[in-house]
Amino acid sequence: MATQTERRTDIGPPHYSQFLHPIIKENYGKWKYHETLKPGVLMHVGETGTIYSVRAASARLITISFVRFMAGLADKYADGYLRFTSRNNIEFLLANKDNIEPLIKELADNGIPVGGTNNAISNVVHTQGWVHCHSSATDASGLVKVIMDDLFEYFGSMKLPNKLRIAVACCLNMCGAVHCSDIAVLGVHRTLPRIDHSTLGNLCEIPTTVASCPNNAIKPTTIEGKTTVKVDEDKCMYCGNCYTVCPAMPLADPLNDGISIWVGGKISNARTEPMFTKLAIPYIPNNPPRWPEVTSAIRNIVEIYVKNAKPYERVGEWINRIGWAKFFDLTGIEFTKYHIDDFRHAGTTYKRSVQNRY
Amino acid sequence: MAGEISVEQLADEMYGVVAENAGMKKMKAGDLTKAMIAKFGDQVSKQDCKSAIKLLIDSGRCVYGYYGGSSIELPRTEGAAN
Amino acid sequence: MSDDLKIPLLDELEKGPWPSFVKDLKTLAPKKPMVRDLLRQLEKSYQDKRGYWKHGGLVGVLGYGGGVIGRYSALPDEFPGVSHFHTIRVHQPSGWFYTSEALNELMDIWDAHGSGLLNMHGSTGDLVFLGTVTDELEPTFRDLTARDWDLGGSGSDLRTPSCCVGPARCENACYDTLELVDNLAHRFQDELHRPMFNYKFKIKAAGCPNDCVAAIARSDFGIIGIWKDNIQVDQAAVAEYVDSGFNVKEFVVDNCPTGCMSLEGKELKIDDSNCVKCMHCINLMSKALSVGKERGAALVMGAKAPIVEGALLGSVIIPFMEIEEPFEEMHDLLERIFEFWDEYGKARERIGECIERIGLASFLEQIELEPLPQMVTQPRDNPYIFYEEYYEEE
Ligand code: SF4
Ligand code: SF4
Ligand code: SF4
Ligand code: SF4
Repeated sequence: MATQTERRTDIGPPHYSQFLHPIIKENYGKWKYHETLKPGVLMHVGETGTIYSVRAASARLITISFVRFMAGLADKYADGYLRFTSRNNIEFLLANKDNIEPLIKELADNGIPVGGTNNAISNVVHTQGWVHCHSSATDASGLVKVIMDDLFEYFGSMKLPNKLRIAVACCLNMCGAVHCSDIAVLGVHRTLPRIDHSTLGNLCEIPTTVASCPNNAIKPTTIEGKTTVKVDEDKCMYCGNCYTVCPAMPLADPLNDGISIWVGGKISNARTEPMFTKLAIPYIPNNPPRWPEVTSAIRNIVEIYVKNAKPYERVGEWINRIGWAKFFDLTGIEFTKYHIDDFRHAGTTYKRSVQNRY
Repeated sequence: MAGEISVEQLADEMYGVVAENAGMKKMKAGDLTKAMIAKFGDQVSKQDCKSAIKLLIDSGRCVYGYYGGSSIELPRTEGAAN
Repeated sequence: MSDDLKIPLLDELEKGPWPSFVKDLKTLAPKKPMVRDLLRQLEKSYQDKRGYWKHGGLVGVLGYGGGVIGRYSALPDEFPGVSHFHTIRVHQPSGWFYTSEALNELMDIWDAHGSGLLNMHGSTGDLVFLGTVTDELEPTFRDLTARDWDLGGSGSDLRTPSCCVGPARCENACYDTLELVDNLAHRFQDELHRPMFNYKFKIKAAGCPNDCVAAIARSDFGIIGIWKDNIQVDQAAVAEYVDSGFNVKEFVVDNCPTGCMSLEGKELKIDDSNCVKCMHCINLMSKALSVGKERGAALVMGAKAPIVEGALLGSVIIPFMEIEEPFEEMHDLLERIFEFWDEYGKARERIGECIERIGLASFLEQIELEPLPQMVTQPRDNPYIFYEEYYEEE
């Protein structure tokens, strides 16, 4: 055991400058421009030097062996310098242009592709899923693996109209904030929390549990002399808020949990303002280990987008240009009552003109 | 005036509030601060309360818990599965 | 316990060209019972189509209320290796830069104290060590701090701030995202480690409106770089683009959202007073166009995922602010915001929801900012105005 005196606390992160490549240090804030030499390879030109970045794919769930292997490659080709992107890619920072191809080859020999730049599908950001979280309605690592296996050709090429960002979250908590991606895959529950009346009173604070529900579906009650809660089934939208504060209200339901697919969000301000994703497919059953219905639904959307969008149109921009009716028409996705919003501000999404494409 | 009540004394008072509410209401740092300010008025400052919470936690008399939000609780035997 | 690991469903995830986490995890399974049982439990989830994890609990390192997330298997008898499977969030360096030496050091620490599984990085930005037992938390922390690493945030605290690659490797950066984030992380250590807020509070810093860290969607407080003056144009480079056959007119000029550009021969003209700094043209013609010289950032607040009251995007609270060391203006602003939130917020209410409940105008008044037309897409279209000033008869 460490004693009080040895203990260091509140030191914060180490300063980044000690991890910067000397060329990066010299050109910090002095970059002039960059070029994409080929998919996954960037060249940044600064006032006094040039740095090459090789972007390699990685799963998000990785091991110390994988990281050590990557560190070894950085030593061999990049003077020991590398960084990670916000989408879990690894970027090797090379001073020597001649190292690019040998590095790519060694990565490829070990099953690691290079790509994800410009008009490509970059790595999928995702959450913990069945690997690690209590509220997941689906797995995340497995879904990402099968989606990227299927769309692999778009990672290593740049043939899309614009970049395409995919995200996976395994419940409505959306730790990965999938609500602004071009295509979002979201795990959903579809049935009421199963209340454990025998333990709820001991495990959970009733007022906190009641207050946790965004739709006022939870009311205190007494069952067989025990204080507990009840859920109004007309008001519950299976969001899992109550379960987050009260472990006696689990939502997992193997028969009914599954996946919904959302489209048309973006974060960047380029051309159009940031947008939320909107519902495309309300429900697809969980079908592990390879979720074929999900991968084919996504491929369908991607292919229709590639075929119909103009150069540099993001998915959401393309849909806004052609209209949602046309989107459902082109993709063959069924429009249902679930597509019509009924939560707060729902009215703002009702069509308030008769302009339409027939 | 702030500072009239010692940080140790505040920590004791806070401990009392946590113990009193144990099992009924999970107290957040803000709840404890508000309770102290309600009780002692301007004899205590928010900074005093922060220091008192730090003392309470560093001494091991209370621990942080998390269920949807963070709270300050009495230590319990670990909620491990078995 | 039999020695061979039977996970036929997960084996299916070894197929295909994308890197397989199953393949990777399997390499560790023989050495690490935790990884082995994680795979076995995950296989069961794949069979049964449901997760087998219980809620968090009261675990952490002494003195901190954040940085560790308790996790327990719901089936500890069947999968004893993961009966405890806690997460440790390690505060990442700004911009996610590492040396191989630093990474190897971190991996050695994690090898010694945990499952050897990790995320580089989690959604908030931390380096996430996945899977250890309660007794290893304090020793892991000791080894980390001995090597100058600290824990990140979790729970109702200031979450680990994160930033884009910024001036370290991007010509678009309008301020020093890395230094700002490092500065804020050190300035607000107490808020980061000792949950004192109503709920989580995330800070993200993007160097320009491309917003590569999703500040507008994923942070309670987002700092997005922008400039005020003219886009810098290198006409010779524009001519090179034209000569190279790149269709400047169709792809750049015609795609400008405000129509403020025109191409006359090989010369690009921009009416900068109409440019909304969307980045489209600069993204496409990096060699010829660059962000202006009068640089700073716009501040947006309130973005969040749906829980509890529905998803929100950040909205502008300051359209332009200079971001210069030692960042005191930013510290003061954040303190006023924390003070406001203390006063007006409710438990489990993100600040964006609090601002909506109270009204942006009241919020601005409380944190002493002037209302500006850049903060709304339009003025109100309803007449229900709460007038606060009126005349009385003398
Ligand atoms: S999205 Fe939901 S299930 Fe997935 S990791 Fe986050 S809280 Fe857990
Ligand atoms: S799942 Fe959501 S809507 Fe349903 S009772 Fe729980 S908190 Fe309310
Ligand atoms: S947000 Fe802007 S400055 Fe930051 S990395 Fe992206 S393009 Fe560069
Ligand atoms: S930044 Fe956007 S708005 Fe401004 S000139 Fe370029 S394309 Fe037009």
